[in-house]
Amino acid sequence: MEALFSGLATGFAVALDPFNLFLVLAGCFAGTLIGALPGLGPINGVAILLPIAYGLGFGPESALILLAGIYYGAEYGGRISSILLNVPGDAGAVMTTLDGNPMARAGQAGRALSLSAIASFVGGTFAVILMSLFAPMLAAFAVTFSPADYVALMVFAFASLASLVGKSTVKTLLGATIGLMLATIGIDANTGVARYTFGIPDILAGIDFLIVVVGLFGMAELLSLVEQQVAGKLKALPVDKSFVRMADLAKCKWTIARSSVIGFFIGILPGTGASVASAVAYGAEKRISDRDKTFGSGDVRGLAAPEAANNAAAGGAMVPMLTLGIPGSGTTAILLGALLMFNIQPGPLLFTQRPEVAWGLIASMYIGNVALLVINLPLVGLFARMLTIPQHYLTPLIAILAFIGIYTIVGNPFDLLMITALGIFGWFLRKLDFSLAPVILGFVLGGLFEDNLRRALSISGGDWAILVTDYKSIMLYVLALLVVVAPIWLSRRARRMEGVSAADKS
Amino acid sequence: MVDRIFAGVLLIVTLAYAVIAFTAISAPFQYDPLGPESWPQILSLFAIACLLAILLNPDATEMGVTTRTWFRLAATIVILVAYAELYEPLGFILSTILFGAALSAMLGAGMARAVVFGVTAGVAGYLLCVTLLDLNLPEGALVQRLVEAASQEGQS
Repeated sequence: MEALFSGLATGFAVALDPFNLFLVLAGCFAGTLIGALPGLGPINGVAILLPIAYGLGFGPESALILLAGIYYGAEYGGRISSILLNVPGDAGAVMTTLDGNPMARAGQAGRALSLSAIASFVGGTFAVILMSLFAPMLAAFAVTFSPADYVALMVFAFASLASLVGKSTVKTLLGATIGLMLATIGIDANTGVARYTFGIPDILAGIDFLIVVVGLFGMAELLSLVEQQVAGKLKALPVDKSFVRMADLAKCKWTIARSSVIGFFIGILPGTGASVASAVAYGAEKRISDRDKTFGSGDVRGLAAPEAANNAAAGGAMVPMLTLGIPGSGTTAILLGALLMFNIQPGPLLFTQRPEVAWGLIASMYIGNVALLVINLPLVGLFARMLTIPQHYLTPLIAILAFIGIYTIVGNPFDLLMITALGIFGWFLRKLDFSLAPVILGFVLGGLFEDNLRRALSISGGDWAILVTDYKSIMLYVLALLVVVAPIWLSRRARRMEGVSAADKS
Repeated sequence: MVDRIFAGVLLIVTLAYAVIAFTAISAPFQYDPLGPESWPQILSLFAIACLLAILLNPDATEMGVTTRTWFRLAATIVILVAYAELYEPLGFILSTILFGAALSAMLGAGMARAVVFGVTAGVAGYLLCVTLLDLNLPEGALVQRLVEAASQEGQS
């Protein structure tokens, strides 16, 4: 407990520094703007702005605070285009359209926006509080992890990825493997042998993380926007003067509480971020409280549940990223890569070795959540005007930002061609129902996975049995198996139950 | 079908990756039992298994992209490559003006508006990034020569 308070004190000392405070606000503001743009979600926003934030030459804690602000700002902003346009910014905001858009069409856009802002705030704050309690404990436990345990942890991470993310398990696994394979390019740190460099000096140190991220996310997103190009403007519903009522909040308070818990714990699971969390929370809430069949036609609870859950998941996803070095979602994988670029290895020692980074980030999230609520309630009209930016200006703007960001890293124009090529590859992957988050997760975790496997086998002198001797690793393998088998079993059971009830009726 | 073609192409790449992993990579001496080659070997086998599964059981059948959209995408890529190639020779301002105007005009903005957008993006972007944020962007050989000429005139 004492460690918690001293940690928070360190954190707030960092986060309340005027410059960092400015960065929190700027990040939240920019994030909300990006999230509000139709089609652009948190992951693309962070990907496009990451090289620029890196190029500005801030300290690691300041850069991370800025990026994290953009991240959860965009989770906040995503609801605006969902509610007013019925176009979700990313997968995490899909569930918000189900009840949010009908409310706006019924002339209650202001009520829907303010209610979802409050639900997001509660979900986000709840996640940060749990995070400050859990993260140091988890870090203290993770210090005892051996290399073999880390290997088991990776297997668990990829198992939960495969079972919960994307439409097809095989494609998700293949995506992750492509990421792992990309990560093997470059000089092997243990022996100094060059792998897959083909004598090209530019990639001796490996393919630059920023190029992969901007190419796969930023440029692929640009191509999707071109593909789905609609002539003229999308019709956005107007923001009216209606506002959330106390009765709405009273009706939603248990919904928000339940969804925050669901969101946080799903967020912790490696690789599964806001999209899974909001879908599960909406589904659970529908089962629990949809007695009058009002979900899907503008029920306030149907709006509050996914919003609370996806913001809680954004916080939850930070926990494994900071304490284990294993990102909880695609976007936190990018943040992890950002930390690695600053030569900071996130993991159990982060809280003791670099407390200003870990706690500074946590403290900035407390401030950011309050700031987001404050700027979102009165300024929602301003953000809503972002929706009317025609796509033919938005699309070139993404490319210009991506090019600026990539060029400023080392000033190599070859990199610009690289991101274009990766963008085309990423667009094909997306078209064929691969999700891109596993690729980036694999790319970020590749080095760690290989190092730990080799370290574990060095300890045992080449005996593979070391991977399953510790109770911790066995536990993780069991969890991995559960996470793969449980959804299959649950869906079978659900189908059988449906079959039974259908038989009853007939 | 599309799934099969894509998986087939990836399979060829992966097989090449596997061949290199099993034959070419080796360390002159090593301390750990796995060495630099085992991990790529494991990965390649796993990837080949996934690719075979997709080849046998593909699910995406069509791209669902019309011919017009293909043309628009191809044009976008051509414009992007041109932008990347001209980035240094023309400098940020000029290349961005051209790129912004060309792409927004192609995507349906009016000609006049597209030019205004391009000029705004180029000039405002340069001022914002170079003077305010202190980032490194190419001036371009052309602009550099103009600036030099102007400064020489000032001296004489």
